[in-house]
Parts: sequence; C-alpha cells; structure tokens
Amino acid sequence: MADREKEHNPGIPVVAEKVKVEAPPGEERPAPVPTTYEVPIGPIHPALKEPIRLTFKIEGERIRGVEVRTGFAHRGIELMGTKRNLIQVLYLSERICGICSISHPIAFTLAVEQAAGIEVPARAQYIRVIFSELERIHSHLLWAGVAAHELGFDTLLHLTWKVREKVLDILEELSGNRIDYAIPIFGGVRRDITPEQYPKVGEMIRYYRGLSDELMDAFLRDPSVEARTRGVGVLEPQEAEALCAVGPTARASGLRKDVRQDRPYLVYGDYAVKAITPEDYGLKPLGDVYDKTVVRLLEVGQSLDLIERCLEDMPPGPITSFPKIPALLAHLKKAAGEGLGWHEAPRGEVIHYIRLEGGLDEPSVWKVKAPTYSNLMSWKPMFEDQEIADIPIIAASIDPCICCMDRVHVVREGGEAWVTKEELLKLSWEKTRRLTR
Amino acid sequence: MSALQAVWQAAVVLLGGGLVGMVYKGVDRKIAARMQARIGPPLRQPFLDVGKLMVKEAVVPRTAVGWLFEAMPFLAVVAAGTALLYLPLGPFAPVLGAHGDAILVLYLLAVPALAMALGGFASGSPLATVGAQREIVMLMSYEFPLAVALVGVAWRLSSLGIQPAFSLGTMAAQPLWGLVGPLGVLGLAILFSCLLIVTPAELSKIPFDIPEAETEIAGGLMVEYSGVYLALFYLADAVKTVVMAGLVVALFVPFGLAAAVGLKGGAAQAVDTLFFLFKVLVVMLVAVTTVRVGMARLKVDQVARGFWLQITAVAVVGLLFLVLDKVVMG
Amino acid sequence: MTADQVLQGLKQALGARLKAEVRPRKVGVKRPLELQELWCEIGREDLLPAVRTLKNLGPLHTSIISGRDAGETIELLYHLAVGFGTPGGEVMVTFRLQVPKSDPVVPSITGILPGAETTEREKIEFLGVEFAGIPTRAHVFLPDDFPYHPWRKDEPGIEKTIKRMVEWEEKRHGGSGERT
Repeated sequence: MADREKEHNPGIPVVAEKVKVEAPPGEERPAPVPTTYEVPIGPIHPALKEPIRLTFKIEGERIRGVEVRTGFAHRGIELMGTKRNLIQVLYLSERICGICSISHPIAFTLAVEQAAGIEVPARAQYIRVIFSELERIHSHLLWAGVAAHELGFDTLLHLTWKVREKVLDILEELSGNRIDYAIPIFGGVRRDITPEQYPKVGEMIRYYRGLSDELMDAFLRDPSVEARTRGVGVLEPQEAEALCAVGPTARASGLRKDVRQDRPYLVYGDYAVKAITPEDYGLKPLGDVYDKTVVRLLEVGQSLDLIERCLEDMPPGPITSFPKIPALLAHLKKAAGEGLGWHEAPRGEVIHYIRLEGGLDEPSVWKVKAPTYSNLMSWKPMFEDQEIADIPIIAASIDPCICCMDRVHVVREGGEAWVTKEELLKLSWEKTRRLTR
Repeated sequence: MSALQAVWQAAVVLLGGGLVGMVYKGVDRKIAARMQARIGPPLRQPFLDVGKLMVKEAVVPRTAVGWLFEAMPFLAVVAAGTALLYLPLGPFAPVLGAHGDAILVLYLLAVPALAMALGGFASGSPLATVGAQREIVMLMSYEFPLAVALVGVAWRLSSLGIQPAFSLGTMAAQPLWGLVGPLGVLGLAILFSCLLIVTPAELSKIPFDIPEAETEIAGGLMVEYSGVYLALFYLADAVKTVVMAGLVVALFVPFGLAAAVGLKGGAAQAVDTLFFLFKVLVVMLVAVTTVRVGMARLKVDQVARGFWLQITAVAVVGLLFLVLDKVVMG
Repeated sequence: MTADQVLQGLKQALGARLKAEVRPRKVGVKRPLELQELWCEIGREDLLPAVRTLKNLGPLHTSIISGRDAGETIELLYHLAVGFGTPGGEVMVTFRLQVPKSDPVVPSITGILPGAETTEREKIEFLGVEFAGIPTRAHVFLPDDFPYHPWRKDEPGIEKTIKRMVEWEEKRHGGSGERT
C-alpha cells in the first residue's frame, strides 16, 4: 500500500503540537501542564461558505483563543474603482457582494450624490427603500437557512430557502434579476415599480405574514435548536459597543443601533424606523445566537411593514433627475468634493466614502466598509470558552459576508447576456491556462 | 448444523444483509428528501456511491499510521457483518446462534464504532482526532441504556424459567409481551422506547452524528478516508443499520405474520421473512429517518448528559417495572 | 445628540486648533429633516483628545478610517459616529489628519475604541502608516509578504501590477476604448 501514499493536503497545516505553559518562577514543581492544540478551520471548510481562516486554540473541547485571517478573496476593488468612471464603479459596487447587492450601490450613490450635489426625486427614494427592504427579507431568510444547516438541521434549511424563493421571485419581477438588481443610479433609480406590480408585492407580503408564525415556531420554539443556540456565542453589550459591532449582531446584545434609526437617510426618517432588539419579543437581551435569530426574524416583519407603507405613500413622478446618461456623466466629471453614504444593510452598517476631483472621470478615493468588517472583532469574545461544536453557528451568527469584507468581484461588462455551459467551460479552461502559464 | 451448511447460510445472510442495508439506505435518503421538500436521489444511489468509491483512488495521508488506518474499515465491516450472523432473521434462527449470545452482539455493535475511532486517531488529522474523541464519548454514553434494555429482557425471560435467556433466538421465539403482567408491559414499553432513542446514536445519525458533524469538523472521523476504505465504512454503516433495527425487532417486535394467517412451510417462511424486512424498515424509518429530519445536531456534552442521566434513569425505571412485575406475578 | 453639542464639546477640548465645518444633509420626503455632519481638520497630536471627547459625549462608533496619498502627506479620515440609540440622534464626525510621509506615525485609538483595530491594521498595509500603540500589526487583507502599500502613489510596483491586469482585460474584451 506504500505506493498509494500520497502527499497529504498541503493547504491545511496539520497542527497538533502541544503548547507548553511555563510554570511561574519561584514554584518548584511545575503545575500540571495544560495542553492545547490548534484546529484550523478554513479557508476551505464545509462550515464556511466563503474563504476565511480561523485558527482555534483548543483545550479539550473548549476554545481558548482564536486567530482570524482574512483576505483570501481580496482583489483590490477599491483601487480598481479609482481607475474607472463612476458609472462603471457603480457596477463594481453592486458586485462587491451578491447578497447585499442593493446596499452597496445605495451607500455608494448616496456618497456620490452628496459629493456632486445631486437631488434624488421622491419616488426614487421610495423605490430604493423598497428594494433594500426586499433584500433584507431575502438575506435574513438566507441566513436563517444557513444557521439551520450549521446546526445540522437540514430540513429547516430546505424549508426556509423554499420560502425565500418568493421574495427572490418578486425581486426578479421588479428588477429582472434575483440578485444584482442594478436599480440605483446617481440621481434616482433605473426602473420604476409599475401599478400592475403592486398587487404582486402585496401578495408576497401576505404570504410572509401568514408564514411568520411557522418560522418563529421552527426557529425559536424548537427544543433542539434552542439547545444549540441558547447561551452560545454571547456578546455582552459593553463589548458590542467597544468593538463597534453593527447590525443584528449589536442589536441582539441589546444595543439600539440601527443606521436607519440613528442617521436616517432616504425616506427612513419619515417612518421613524426603530432598531429591533430581543426586548421587542419580550426577552432580556443576552447577545447569544438565539437572540440574533430573534432579531433577524423580527426584522423580516419590520421590512414587510416598511414595504407596505412605502407602496402606499409612494408619490407619482420622475424616477431620476438625470434621464440621459451622458448628461449625468458630464455632471459627474465636473463635480468636485467628497461624500459619505451609509446604509443599514441586512448585516449592519455599510459606509462608502468617495472623493471626486473636478475634471476627472474617476474618483480619486473610494473607500468601502462592509458590515462584516466591523463585526470581525466581535468574534473574539463570542468564541471565548465555547465548544468546538459551536464554532460553525457562532461564526455564522454575525452573518459573515467575507466577500463583502474582502471586496472581491471583478466585473466583466459588455459580454454576452447568457453564458452557456460550453462557454463557462471554455472560460474556466482559459483561466486555468492563464494561471499555469 | 454442519460446517458447510453454516458457511452457506452465512454467505446468504451476509450478502442479503448488505444488499438490504444498501437498499434501505436509499429508501432512507429518498424519504428524508421528500420530508425536506426535495426530490432526492434515486433509490439505487447508495450502490452508485459505493461503486464509484470502489474505483476511486484511496489516499492515505502521510501523517497517518498507515496499517491501522487501512485495517480499520475492514474491521468495521467484518464486525457489522458478524453481528448479522447472530441475529434471528424473521422465521430463521441466528446462523451462529449456538456460538454466542446477546452480549456478544452488544460487543460486536461497539466494534465498528471503535474501529472508526481508531481509524480517526490513526489518520493524523486534527479534525479526525476531535471526531474520534467524540465517538468514544458517544460510545460510552449510549452503551449503558442499550445494555439495560437488553439485560432487562433477558433477565425477565430467565425469571420465567425460559433458557437460554441471553440467546437472541430465545428472545425472538418467546415474545415477552404476552408472558408478563401489565406492569411488565409498561416496563417493556419503556425499554423499547429507550432502545429506539439509542438506535440513531448507535448509528451516528442526526441528532447524534456528532463524530462526523459535517459543518463542524468536516466529516470528523471520515475526513481523511477516501476510495475503497470510505466505501467499506459506508457498507459497514448500511449493515449496522440493519443489525441495529434487527436487534430492536428481535427484542421487542419478534412476532410473525404467517402463524396468524395460518400459513405453513415455505410460504410461511417467505411471508415472515418479508414481514421481518418490513419491520426492520419501519424501525429504521421511525428511529432514524424521521428523527434525523426533525432535529438539529446536539453537542457531545448534551448527548453524554442526556444518555447518562435522563435516558439511563428512564431505562432503569423500565427495569424496575419488570422487577415489580416479577414480584407481583411471582 | 446634535451636531452643535458635539462641536461645542470638541471646541472645549481642542480650542482654536479645531477647524470644523458643518455640512447639512437633507433627508426625508413627508417629514423632511436636516441632518448635520461635522467635518473637522485636526493635527495628529489632537486625535486622542478629540476621540476621547467624543467618547465622553455619548456611545461612540468607528465606521471606518479612509485615506489617500496626498502627495507630500498621507491624508487620513476618521469617520466616527457619536450618539447612537436615539432616532436621528447620531452625528457623523469626520476627522481629517495630514500625516507627513517622512514620519507617518499616528497614535492608535484602539485604547479608547478597541473596535478600530481592523481598520487601523488595514491602513498599515495599504497606506504604510504606523499606529503607535496598536496591539497587533498583522496584515488583514494582503498576503503577509506583500511588498508594497497599494494606495501609495509613489509605489511603482502597484502601477505595474494594475497595468498588467488592465491589459489582460483589454485583450479579452478586444478593448472597449474607454479604459484608462
């Protein structure tokens, strides 16, 4: 069998070394030596949907330390942005993350609109809010399914994702795409929501309202789920505040921190959106995984309300202040200044900073901050003293979006609208050849 | 029974057991998929899987203890297959019934788990090590309720003067339900439910698939296994499923159908064999499929605590009822 | 919390050294609101007192530190938000710092706000700024042995890399002509 012996996968270092702890000086007999071993999780691991490496120091089944290494999907998208004109950057920003594919463009357009002094028509503001709330529903349901999968509860994963199809259908109906909607543009939106589409959205809202009890039941009152999520991955409110946690991660710890509430933008100020914490469900916030589930499920309901009210209040009118793209580009080229745009993505605060120099097509600085970037630090206290078995669900509990954080995608514009299987194959061959050359 | 006959019977039982185990695995996957609103793989998927694994290259990691790593899958299959030979299969007495009893079956059931743990330790991967540790903890926690259920039945049989009480053949031939009083029936029911809870643990299925835990430790024990070795473990698992379900059937639902409808001879044997297979399927669906569809994975400490405290307590209560029944019935 | 309160607090702490600008932002359709943002220019020696002042004013949140190569200096922008928890009550404060390239050292604010660590580490690798007192300097996004600071304009290596990437894209798409 010796000839069968193959190189052990060199990507994953096999570390089982014993780390000796030095006895304090002055003590004659060393104390029993506590031994820890390292367990690497990632960059490729079934529990992780995206590449990140977490190296855990384990003692028995308890975690004594964690080291996070990111950057496996870093492609320098911010630098790329400074080599392209703003419309192209808008497409780039949309492709920072597939799930937050409206959050980044909204924050980006808000930043550019501030820098270039562009007004957004009222109707466009409502449409942006409707899209971002639809996205919140689909992202939270996606997260719930992933969390169930991390707990080994695949039935719940399949059912949740089946339910999620409804909102994806609506997004496709409204924008033409299930993700990457290409809706916001500087000074407005690119597509209107027509009156014929209102009833369909209304039907979706009724569908989810009818299901909310079932979802709550499955996630919050299932004994085996509760056994796995209660008291696991606790983030204390003081820690959440000090570590600048954002989104549901912070809110589950009881912080009323929501960009839509704190720094209203678009039409969120009109509706006085309130940050949701487990208190709204009648629970004392502990900051564990269970609370994070509570917050996310409640936010689905909040988003449904917001969409409904937006549809009612949406005034007729133009959807963009620059119907002609060349005029927009000319205006942007002249504009000089800097702008900040923020948005409460499903995972938390997204913030974009842009700096425009008059006379240049491209921005001179573009800085993107995705929510996971802020929440990265809160992993440390959450992992402390937990068990190996809890790693996946704790890692998932902040709803990490590694690609958002690493800012990954490369856009390919102008190409064919459809890619067939053969073309995909050809592309992959081409890439392999390029890499091996 | 001549040696030749034993060999011939053993071969049939082993082949049949493997075949049934694989088919049932397919059924399990299909039904689980339907419960999860999926279409699921075709029934023959387990055969395709094993076939594919058989022709794949088996990689042995450089850090592994080679011979141990390679020997363990064989040990698991052999142990699971041997256990099959001690099981009463419907109308047929155990092939090797004269050479071992229920206690041996208990040990044989533990061997595949031990083999997997050893294989995990031998593979030199931290994930497999964690999985192996968990497997050992699991083994220690579910063995006691399992033993209590088995010993309870055997003791009550012997107290009724039926010998050899520890032979599974006797247990299957003399269903205890009709021989004990109401308290005894209650006790038996409790032991029966304990055994049903132990079944998914014994088979490492959700919520007890802790040693493999795909999303936590990437397959744990199995993480380094590939090719033919993985196929062997897969096969061992399929056979073990039949053994475990067959054990439950032999202990608590050994009734035949043929006697009730008045069949005799070959027809009776055929009907009872089919009925036995049906019972095994039902036990598997109840104890494995529905449970694994309806629950999240538990943690190893939760499982250990649950089995050592709650389930053991319940099993002991069941045993006490049997003792009381003996006192009452005399 | 209003922008005025924050501004008063900062003025008290920093005195005349503070150069502040209030930028209004109009939001809302039915109930229009005017939010105010603070953009301040401060010296690097004033950074810690300024952040401490904000921290005393209310719950403080680090959004991000952005930056750019501004020729002789590196410009760092600290985007902080103070006072979350109340509707419309959070004030976005941006501190602008000019750090000379000859001595690119800035005090780390992680002592006051541990959550700023990731973004400070990112600035170390991307802009080559040093943060005095940061607990760890390990790279966040780039490989550990990455030789350049990608956002520095005086790094020739980076330009070359980008050029190569762009050329490769051009070749694949036959060149759309619009690229720079």
